Amino acid sequence: MKLAIHFQDADAFYEQLLDAHEGLSREDSELLNARLILLLANQVGDSRVLSECIEAAREIPTPAAE
Amino acid sequence: MNGSVSTYRETAPSNGYEFSSGAGYDLPEYPFEAPPELQGGPLVRHPVVIVGGGITGLTLACSLARYGVAAVLIDEDNTVGVKGASSRGICYTQKSLEIFERLGIYERVVAKGVQWSVGRTFAGKDEVFSFDLKQQGNFHLSRQPPFLNIQQFYIEGYLVERIRTLGHAELRWQNRLVAFEQNDTCATLTVETPAGRYRIEAEHVVDATGAHSPLRQWLQVPFDTRRGDDRWCIADVRFTKHPPVERHTWIEAPFNENRAVWQHLMADEVWRIDYQMAPDSDPEAVSRESAVRSRLARHFGADVEIEIVWVGPYTYRSECVHAMRHGRVFLMGDAAKVMSPFGARGGNSGVADADNLAWKLAAVLKGQADPSLLTSYNEERIEAARQNVCVTNRTARFLRPADGIERTFRQATIGLARQYPFARSLINTGRMAVANPYSHSSACTYRAGGGAGLSVQNVRFAWADGTRGCVNDLLDWAAGSLLVLVFGDLSAAALQRLRRLCLDAPVRSVQVLGPDATAQALEHVRDPQGHLQGACHVFGHAWALLRPDGYLAATGESVDAQLVSAIERCLGLRGETP
Repeated sequence: MKLAIHFQDADAFYEQLLDAHEGLSREDSELLNARLILLLANQVGDSRVLSECIEAAREIPTPAAE
Repeated sequence: MNGSVSTYRETAPSNGYEFSSGAGYDLPEYPFEAPPELQGGPLVRHPVVIVGGGITGLTLACSLARYGVAAVLIDEDNTVGVKGASSRGICYTQKSLEIFERLGIYERVVAKGVQWSVGRTFAGKDEVFSFDLKQQGNFHLSRQPPFLNIQQFYIEGYLVERIRTLGHAELRWQNRLVAFEQNDTCATLTVETPAGRYRIEAEHVVDATGAHSPLRQWLQVPFDTRRGDDRWCIADVRFTKHPPVERHTWIEAPFNENRAVWQHLMADEVWRIDYQMAPDSDPEAVSRESAVRSRLARHFGADVEIEIVWVGPYTYRSECVHAMRHGRVFLMGDAAKVMSPFGARGGNSGVADADNLAWKLAAVLKGQADPSLLTSYNEERIEAARQNVCVTNRTARFLRPADGIERTFRQATIGLARQYPFARSLINTGRMAVANPYSHSSACTYRAGGGAGLSVQNVRFAWADGTRGCVNDLLDWAAGSLLVLVFGDLSAAALQRLRRLCLDAPVRSVQVLGPDATAQALEHVRDPQGHLQGACHVFGHAWALLRPDGYLAATGESVDAQLVSAIERCLGLRGETP
């Protein structure tokens, strides 16, 4: 799993991601995210990297609700 | 070993399949004969007693009989299949069919069954993807087709008749196990029959009693289990005009309230249509004839004439014991593990359990192998059991996703799969059963890049006289001995070593040559297309040590001490783990 920066243009990606969700209901947003995760996961392919990414995402503590 | 005594109350139903309606099948009935013990005979100690005459127990009895080993099989019923019910298993893998060929029933199975290789998966009205197994991998290289569909009781009936021809095994119908104990000397079984109770002793006991094993309860065998709210209802039907001979699966069928449907052909032109029901639905309500008829009408059109053969609502659970051997008792088939039907992994793994233990028991009982070889039964088949339970649980989770994010991911997958091939790999309507590999067996000798623990397909080659043969013919010829296949030419010293090995150990060897090479060994075959070599997972000059169950114990390059130690390990003659 890469932890150093690998983005060519992090800001542009982030913006495009937010734009894609704009105007979507919560349900449609979740569906878009799910599709995106599956597409990206297939780009990665490597089982170990995928597993480490899932674990890394799980380990970030969820902040308490405000 | 701890003794254990208990009583078994009622005949257990079979895995949730119960008769509801329809004409059912006429199953053969086997007569009860008073066993010798009830005719004043002495208390006999048998080398092998098999409890349960389903597909697993009968496969074992038949396989042992083929090796010339005597066994007693007791079954509480007087027929194959489940009385008044339908077939449980319907789909048999290439590996199972290869085993049936060795047992001598394949010709009957293939004549009765229906072959298929095309599968189509639908979501909504659209086909998401399709496959043709004949075009996939090496399926076409075996003498047996990729899959064959046939009602399970036909196979059981053929096995019964085959066992009668072979002899050695005694089939005792209407003999129910009511108590069991074991100690260092032997196991003692108390059996109830219409003519009274009797006791027999056994050196080895096989529990093939199915998903409600009394033995497992008495022995307090620990297991893991998981059950959900998924409900299904089978309709076995005949049509006047039938659909194509393909496996059709709907993940979301518009004619079944967007739930899953399976459509599969069996023998006698009977189709198994399997409908997913609403979670936790009432089995009685979903299997009422009017409900089944309206479901079928929505599916095939109101004008299609349909004869209902059998209807059965079912649910499933997954269950896997922690160990498949407990003292003298070997658990196999559903007695060791149960799983959802997706992928046909239940019946096929029972057949494989039996085929795995049979040659080992035979070798031990004939004094050719050390009893410690039997520990590899658990090592190999528990690995397979866990794998099969894991794979079928994943399918179940795809077909019945939890509400919320699991359903969202499935929706995302289906949406992507319509457009992009990569996403089709995530669509999981059942991963068809395979010959499970063994990666941690004390009977196998592993080395990097080797084929140890892999199954060898029943591929074709040419005998020395040019006629065609198959791997199963070689296994027949080896008659329960290990088989060393040596590929390519041999040095004089290697030839000498091989000859000595075959004299000293229960081993037979065959030289495998290309089309034109000169034979050095008397026993040689030709492999002009390299199919045999490919099936053995070796390249160039090499040897492959093949077990009677068609699995590789080891592969290597030169005929040296490594081959000798691999043979010893495969006979349980080396204590240490590889």
